[in-house]
Amino acid sequence: MKVIIKQWNAVAAWRWDMPDDDVCGICRNPYDSTCSKCKFPGDECPLLLGECNHSFHMHCIFSWLRQESSQEKCPMCRQPFKGKAQETTRSTAQDDESILPS
Amino acid sequence: MHDHLPPGVELVKADEFTEWLMDIKVLDDNPLYRNEVYRLKFRFPNSYPIEAPEVVFVKDDTHPIPWHPHIYSNGIICLDLLDRQGWSPVHNVESVCVSLQSMLTGNTKKERPPGDENFVKYNTQRPRDINFLFHDNSV
Repeated sequence: MKVIIKQWNAVAAWRWDMPDDDVCGICRNPYDSTCSKCKFPGDECPLLLGECNHSFHMHCIFSWLRQESSQEKCPMCRQPFKGKAQETTRSTAQDDESILPS
Repeated sequence: MHDHLPPGVELVKADEFTEWLMDIKVLDDNPLYRNEVYRLKFRFPNSYPIEAPEVVFVKDDTHPIPWHPHIYSNGIICLDLLDRQGWSPVHNVESVCVSLQSMLTGNTKKERPPGDENFVKYNTQRPRDINFLFHDNSV
């Protein structure tokens, strides 16, 4: 028997690679959901992981850091908040080094 | 929120996002606060939680203003975490209530802040606009 597929619809689910039950400490929405201002989760409303390993929706942490009173500190641990270089960016950097002429 | 409030904290009214009422009790045997319930009024700015809520004790027939050297007799509270400089957006109504419970629990002085009478008489500023000077790290 020969089956000819005329049409198919793929369905996929995604989630951020984060612990299941965690919420953004600022807006209290799940990481997989959006900050309180966005409508669609995903790349439009990404997460930002700090060097201190605390993460937030990027929009949430940015609106905090824009406040003068934040003194650019992490709301959780009050260390200076710096975005952590992610795994992927780090491995790309290594590749760049390896192609430099020796 | 009703389901998992910490002991001694109760939600009274949260009809809109601008103003909430919470009741708190001090759970240990501190004689200053025994058998009393205090009512807190939270007012949320549009930018909450990036900016702190305004939190004051309110007085009525059944809810007195608790004695504390950092709580004025009109209910205004001097606590760094409610001030611009001490606020963090990871605080919330629950954590503020618990902080106030613990601020009361640790207190043994039946006192008002210095200058209470004048402050209560003449202050016209909103709590958020008052520049408190935080000099006492013992509470």
